[in-house]
Parts: sequence; C-alpha cells; structure tokens
Amino acid sequence: MTFNDRIFGVLMIVLAVAYGWGASQFPVPFGGSEAVGPETFPYLLAVVLGLSSLYLIVRPDPDNAWPWSRTGIELVIAVVVLLLYTALLQPLGFIISTTLAVGTLCWRMGASLPKAYVTGAVAGVVVFLIFNYALGLALPLGLLSFLEVG
Amino acid sequence: METLGYLMDGFAVALAPHNLMFALLGAFLGTLIGALPGLGPANGVAILIPLAFTLGLQPETALIMLTSVYAGAMYGGRISSILLNIPGDEPAMMTCLDGYPMAQKGKAAEALAISAVASFMGSLIATIGLILLAPLLADFALTFGPAEYFALFLLAFATLGGITGKNPVKTVVAACIGLMIATVGIDTTGVQRYTFNVLELYEGVDFIIAIVGLFAISELLFFIEDKAGGGKEKMTVNKLTLSWKDIREIMPSSIRGGILGFIAGVLPGAGASLGSFIGYTLEKKIVGKKGYFGQGDPRGVAGPEAGNNGASSGALVPMLTLGVPGSGTTAVLLALLISLNITPGPLMFTQNADIVWGVIAALLIGNFLLLVLNIPLVGIFVKLLSVPPMYLLPIVTMIAFVGIYSISNTTFDLYFMVAFGVAGYVLRKLEIPLVPVILGLLLGPEMEKNLRHAMDISDGDWTVLWNSGLAIGLWVFAGLGLILPYIVGPILRRRMKVATGTGGPESD
Repeated sequence: MTFNDRIFGVLMIVLAVAYGWGASQFPVPFGGSEAVGPETFPYLLAVVLGLSSLYLIVRPDPDNAWPWSRTGIELVIAVVVLLLYTALLQPLGFIISTTLAVGTLCWRMGASLPKAYVTGAVAGVVVFLIFNYALGLALPLGLLSFLEVG
Repeated sequence: METLGYLMDGFAVALAPHNLMFALLGAFLGTLIGALPGLGPANGVAILIPLAFTLGLQPETALIMLTSVYAGAMYGGRISSILLNIPGDEPAMMTCLDGYPMAQKGKAAEALAISAVASFMGSLIATIGLILLAPLLADFALTFGPAEYFALFLLAFATLGGITGKNPVKTVVAACIGLMIATVGIDTTGVQRYTFNVLELYEGVDFIIAIVGLFAISELLFFIEDKAGGGKEKMTVNKLTLSWKDIREIMPSSIRGGILGFIAGVLPGAGASLGSFIGYTLEKKIVGKKGYFGQGDPRGVAGPEAGNNGASSGALVPMLTLGVPGSGTTAVLLALLISLNITPGPLMFTQNADIVWGVIAALLIGNFLLLVLNIPLVGIFVKLLSVPPMYLLPIVTMIAFVGIYSISNTTFDLYFMVAFGVAGYVLRKLEIPLVPVILGLLLGPEMEKNLRHAMDISDGDWTVLWNSGLAIGLWVFAGLGLILPYIVGPILRRRMKVATGTGGPESD
C-alpha cells in the first residue's frame, strides 16, 4: 500500500502551486523591482517542493498504518482536550483548567480516575505556585481569583 | 595562545556563581530529560527555551544552562538504554547492545558507572577538539561571501538526513515546508507575504512555538497511539563495585570512541548515531576474539557511549562557527541563539567572544559536574525512570503550554502550537523528518538574505552562486549528501540493523 506518500505528494503539489501563485500576487516593493524581489525565493521553493513532491508520487514509500479504530478516537480526544485547555485557560484559570486537562489526559492514557485528577490538581497547583511566586510570572487565576492576596 | 586567553575569560564567565548554579541545574534537568522516555534532548531543550526567557536570564546564562541540558541529555540517554533496553534517543541505540546484557547479569551499576566515565571522556576529548578547531574554522568562514553561505545552507539541508537517512527527497520536502513557513510575515522590503491579513502573522511564525509543537505535542500523540502509558518493567540496580582497574581497562575504548565521535559530529551528515555505531564496530574489531561483545562486555558500553558524547560536542563546531547546525538538538540551540539576538557564525567569535567561550568553558565544567552528579545520584534518576509515561507526558505537555503561554500571554500561540503538534504527528507518520522543517524555519531568513546579497552584487546574474571554487565545492558536497544515501545508505543501514538486531532478546 503506497497511498500515504501519493496523497501527500498531491497535496504538496497543490501547496506548491498555491504558494507560487501567492508569490506572483505580491505588490512591487517601494522603490522599484530589484534582481531578487520578495517573490524570487518563494518561486524557488515552489519549484523545488513541486519537483520533490512529484518524486514522492512516482516513487512512494510503503505506508505506515493510520490508527483508525479506537486509538484514533483517543487521539482525537487528546487533541480536543488540548484545544479546550487552550480555550479555557483564561476563563477558568490555570489551576482548574490544568487539573481538568492533565487529569483527562492521564486518565485516557491509562491511569485510574482518582489518581489521574489528583495528579492534574497537584501539578497545576505546584506549577502555579512556582511560576507566580518563584519566577514572578502571572498565570491566570480565573474562577479562583477570589483567592488572590491583595 | 590567543585561544587560551579567551578560554580563561570563558572560565571566568562560566565560574561566576549564578552561572555555575544554572549549569548545575541544567546538567541535572538534562540528565532527567535524557533518561525519561518520550523526552528526547531536542524536545527537552525546546521546552526549556521559553522558560529561560521567563526567568529573564542573561544571554550567556541562558546559553550555559541549555548547553548543560544538552550535555546532560546525552548522559541521561544511556540510563534507559542500560536499564530498560530502550534507547532514550537514536544514538543511544548502540549502548543497549552491551549495556542491557550487563544489567541482566546484575551489573547494572557497573554499566552505568562505566558509561558515565566513557561519556565524560568522549565529551572531554570532543570539547578539546572543539576548542582547537572552532577558532580555525571561524577564521576560515570569514572568507565566505553570500554565495558561499547560500551554498552552505543547501549543504546543511542536503546532509541533514545523514548518509544513513532513508529517503533524501523527504528531507527536501521537509526543508521546503520549513522554509515556506519562514517566508510568512513582512519581508525586508516591507512586503507582506502570506499573512492573509492576520495581525498575529505579520511578524512571522515564532519558531519556538513551532519547535515545541512539533516535538512535544506530537510525542504525546505518539505515546497515546502506542498505548505506552504503562511504562516498562524496571531493572533493579545493584551496589556498585567498580575498581580502578575496570576504569583503566575501558580507557582505550573511550578515547578511541571519543575521537571518532568527534569527527563524526563535526562532519556534516554523519551525526551522533553514526559516531556511536563506528565507535562500537571499531571496538569490536580491535578487541577481536578476546571480547564478548553483545553479552555485556564493558568495552562495548564504553566505545559507543564515548562516541555518542563526542559526536554531540563535535556537532557544536559547525553550529557555533558557521551558524549551521547538524542535528535536531543543535538546531534547537541555534533557535535559542537567534532568539537571544545573537547571530551565530564566524563573527560571533569576535563580537560575542565572552558568550562563545563562556559556553565552551561551561561545556567543560558541565562535564565534570555531570560525572560527579551521575555516579552518586544514579539512584534518583533510576527512581524517576519508573514514573509511568501516563503521568509524565501530560505534565510535560502542560509545561510546554505554560512555557509558550509565558512568551506572549496570549492563547493564539497555544492554538498554533497544537496545530503544529498535529502536523508533526502526521509528518512523522509519513516519515517526513521534522528536523529539516525546523532548520528551514530557522535558516530561511538568512538564506534568503544571502541570496539577495549575492544577486545584488552580481546584478541579477544567477551564475554568481557557483562562481568561486569554494562555492562549487559546497554545491558538490550538497549533491553528494543527497545522492550518497541511495548508494551507501542501504548498506550502512543493514549493518546497523544486523548489529542492533542481535542485541537484547526483547529489543524492539
């Protein structure tokens, strides 16, 4: 099976063409055009990427299997957790969001539920304390901001 | 003699109490990073860069700390090779061959101590080599014009996969992707390129975000996929009984390994993996039938381990003198230099002499610290090894988040990091190497600048790029770097496979 490299090669050729076309749309820099304008280097890259992607399509390597089944879902869960962690970092505050994110990741990787969330909470509190007091970097407190010492 | 004077100044920098403290901290963290599964040296150094900024460290202090981390990670890699038969990173692979059998025979403590001594010797030899060679190379590099630099960058990309690399075309694709990302932002003539009018993209893509995402986040995803959360069975460490005689016996192996490793590290395209591989095979040849390689011969631990450490110090030579890194970890160190506003290359030796020589002195001091740390404290590192990855990796991920968040206090960067992580996972699945992507990101602006300079000088004549003998030589080597893997690569790879395949009974 050699689909991976072929599909990737096609995608990269599309990228190379789009990138090269993008470069042709650059405005001429102030002061007139020079020997090497802003578009020259991108053109070179587009050509090299296009040619090497073509090679991938013609001579692809054997595929690595993609994790479709359950493992695939676990991966999607992990990415969603990371995105939610990012989204909730400021509203919920560092400690709560870290407890949830690290806890969920530990749990999905095989730790028991209580252990996972305790790990998350301890890690969150410890890192928060180190950063806020030892390193002087303010991490958001969010919902816990009432704890803030004036 | 001039060099000696600089080196003394370097020691003055490196021995300043706070620098020494950070060197110690770095050495400790580095050993930890090297020892823990799923945290390669490149990955570990990358995560620590934003933290070094947060601490508001002086450039030389930050660089000294992270160089110690780098040196420490090479030490740490051997711990999991010997105790678990899992190499912490690729170059540590050869250490498994005799280290793990030694541990199985109940000589884990001896294997660890021998490898520490050998690592020390390898690094020491290579650091001395670095002190001798780097100023010469830096002087030579001053004669490089923009065309030569352009060719040199090409050479760096072409040889990055190494002659043992699998598919050079994939290296080229990866390098293009990295260089393309580097063109995002406002260029030197003030033209916006590929910013899509997103304000955050005007200044380009911060390579630290890219590096942390590509390495740390994709590693987490790989661990989840492999369901490796539980970790492996731990080996018990016996009480150390090592005599001076044992140390004397491994000395010749360590010295040979160190010298070979250094050469492999300096040469483009060879790298630490080849250094430790040559170190091992040479030992096997020299010792011949008298040895019992593969069954726990101490010299089989010392040779590759010295080679591995020699190569990692040797790899600093092209990075410091030419600004062209030869490995993933040195690429990350280059990222640190660029973000500290230090332009690596020959001029650094004159303009930032205190920093360069401070770092080199720190490398020497770091080695002593590591030797002292490693023999008595090995028990602590072994304990930490038994922390299962299911707890470790989420925490590492969280630290990566904190580090990136601390750069600009915005969540935009974090989304970007996650995106890079997913991209890194996909690329690794396709066996597209990540290091060229990062190198492309780092070298892109310099490469384009040199191309522009060369063309401005020649008034648009492209032949200027291969007009001098030096430039032609660099082009030829770059070409060889791409072609040789097809010719020599399969043979070398097969040999390395045969060698490692017969290693442990359960090698994976």
